[in-house]
Amino acid sequence: MGDSQSEELIPPVNSNEQIIIETQGLTRAFDKTLAVDSLDLSIRRGELFGLVGPDGAGKTTTLRLLTGLLKITSGSGSLAGFDLATQPEEIKRHIGYMAQEFSLYSELTVLENLRFFAELFDVAVEDFAVRSEHLLEFAALSPFRNRRADHLSGGMQKKLALACTLIHKPEILILDEPTTGVDPISRREFWDILAELYDDKTTVIVSTPYMDEADRCSRVGLMYEGRMVVCDTPEVIRSQLEGEVVHVRPEDWQAARGVLGELPGILETQSYGESIHLLVDSAEVRIPEIELALKRNGVGVKEIRPAPPRMEEAFISLIRGLAAHEDAPEKP
Amino acid sequence: MSPRHVFAVVRKEIQHILRDRSTFVLVLLAPTAMMLLMAYALTVDIQHVPIAVLDYDRSPTSRNFVQQITAGDDLDLYAQVSSMEEIEALLMRGEIKAALVLAPGFARDIRSLRGMPLQIIIDGTEPQSGAFAVEHVGWRAEEFLNQALSAQMGALGVTQGISQPIDLRVRAWYNPSLKPRVDMIPGLISMMLGFPALSVALTLAHEREHGTLEQLMATPIRRTELLLGKMIPYVLVGLVNVILIPLLAMLLFRIPFNGNFIVFFLLSAVFLFAILSMGLIIGVFMKTQPAALALSFLLIFFPGVFMTGIFFPIASMPEVMRLEALALPGTHYAIITRGVFLTGVGLDVLWPYGVMLAGLGVIFLAIAGLFFRKRLG
Repeated sequence: MGDSQSEELIPPVNSNEQIIIETQGLTRAFDKTLAVDSLDLSIRRGELFGLVGPDGAGKTTTLRLLTGLLKITSGSGSLAGFDLATQPEEIKRHIGYMAQEFSLYSELTVLENLRFFAELFDVAVEDFAVRSEHLLEFAALSPFRNRRADHLSGGMQKKLALACTLIHKPEILILDEPTTGVDPISRREFWDILAELYDDKTTVIVSTPYMDEADRCSRVGLMYEGRMVVCDTPEVIRSQLEGEVVHVRPEDWQAARGVLGELPGILETQSYGESIHLLVDSAEVRIPEIELALKRNGVGVKEIRPAPPRMEEAFISLIRGLAAHEDAPEKP
Repeated sequence: MSPRHVFAVVRKEIQHILRDRSTFVLVLLAPTAMMLLMAYALTVDIQHVPIAVLDYDRSPTSRNFVQQITAGDDLDLYAQVSSMEEIEALLMRGEIKAALVLAPGFARDIRSLRGMPLQIIIDGTEPQSGAFAVEHVGWRAEEFLNQALSAQMGALGVTQGISQPIDLRVRAWYNPSLKPRVDMIPGLISMMLGFPALSVALTLAHEREHGTLEQLMATPIRRTELLLGKMIPYVLVGLVNVILIPLLAMLLFRIPFNGNFIVFFLLSAVFLFAILSMGLIIGVFMKTQPAALALSFLLIFFPGVFMTGIFFPIASMPEVMRLEALALPGTHYAIITRGVFLTGVGLDVLWPYGVMLAGLGVIFLAIAGLFFRKRLG
């Protein structure tokens, strides 16, 4: 956060940095269920790493394992050079962790909450004065410093929680669904703060159910049933989508959907307001066919063009593929 | 151990106590309010027990006896009846707690020094009033017999060297009028100080429920720092009660305070340490506030009432329960409070109980610390 002017010149993916988080075969079982199954993870300093996946995929368990809050069943891992299994307390000094249900001390004011965490992290009193001012400004909470936490809006509470996890300048920030249940504007503001942290080369791991947020990460890991299914940059993941996206804006949306449902080569349809996104095997082949079919049925077309795939389409398609694969043959 | 970490938790907890209304009421007002209520409701001195009299003798002597017995505030003559059936009806309706039956020849037997043919029937469903009536009647009857004896002796011309045949004089030291309230209130104080222990159990469970504990576990705070930080504010709050409750007891119930207040204050602090460590154990094991509340009643309040000698003497308990009573901080504190308030003894007598309390506190705190993990699941 300090002198970000000079650091803006650094390329977006901090790919030359050393690896700061690493796991090998990280596994956690609850009774007989494997919540996290042989996870191999390698994150470089300064990455903004997004962890996505459906509910129950093992995102929260993974993050709790990385913070040392949960015991590892098998496998190994290290954060900032400290061993996950044997040095959880050292790890805690180097991370900032925001739990999914992070709740602040509601009777304490904004500043009191910040001071409480500063004291637990042994932040020097002189440093606290400077840092708290900076963080309050950073999170746009300065005017509310003496307001009780339970009198803040949901979005402001999340920003205060983030400020509390940043008060000791952690090398690694671990955020478990920090924007769930927050309004879109606050969500945007929250991610603007994360972007600043990224510019500042703080390593951030964030889990999220929102695909637009995944798009803002430098790298994304998709978890499904405890395993990491895909782990790459958003560009690569989008390009892995089997098929292409066609954007159609028909005059009569209802009629068009009926016609399109009958056509061959269309894998999925998704509505976006007045437009329809079609996932097709080949845009080049299918666009003329779609145009023709709509014309024959008397549905006018305002616009039809190939569209860049979105993260959401890529993930839904991936997850559907995995679920179908699982349902079809017996597992060995 | 970092004092700064402990202080951070202490300050946060005090802010919580002062700003959260329900916690404030629970730890600062409830003990005093409950104390007043319990003292009035539970320990009212027995007076004006209604009785019925069935007098078969109908002599001046028997009438005189009945009049003497019901003269004071202790027994009230509710009805003069003429049959046993009437007595039973009155007892069953709860209108009387006891009945006296004076046999035919009551006056004759006394005059001829053959004794006093007197039957007393009590309501066994309410033994306290009944026992009180028996005691009172026995005492008055003895007095009455002694008077009759003196009169006989005088009639025979013996005036010199008359002495009463029975001369038992009971002196209740430290509580001269044997008022139960005087004896109860010091014991009740230990129960009232269970409220801070309940609160400390609740606050730990509350943090677990609300996710703040997960957040704390992800900081470098040590387990002992957190537990001490949780405990100290409630010790302080408890000590406020330690000042308030005796003041009220002295002002409102005229309970004597014969000992040294500093000694009482110090030993109370040790007691609070022990009972709050017990509260911490509950908070460590219970995941939700309702569970912590239920267990607090089972481990702190219930045994605190029935097993610490406040209501029932420990000497009359079976051996297993006596050992269990020794492990309850309330047992030792009840001895300390009674000692300081009524007997007026000092540290020279009470130190073993202080040592026991300190020992229990250390053991309880160690158990809480041992089972409190900075991990989830």
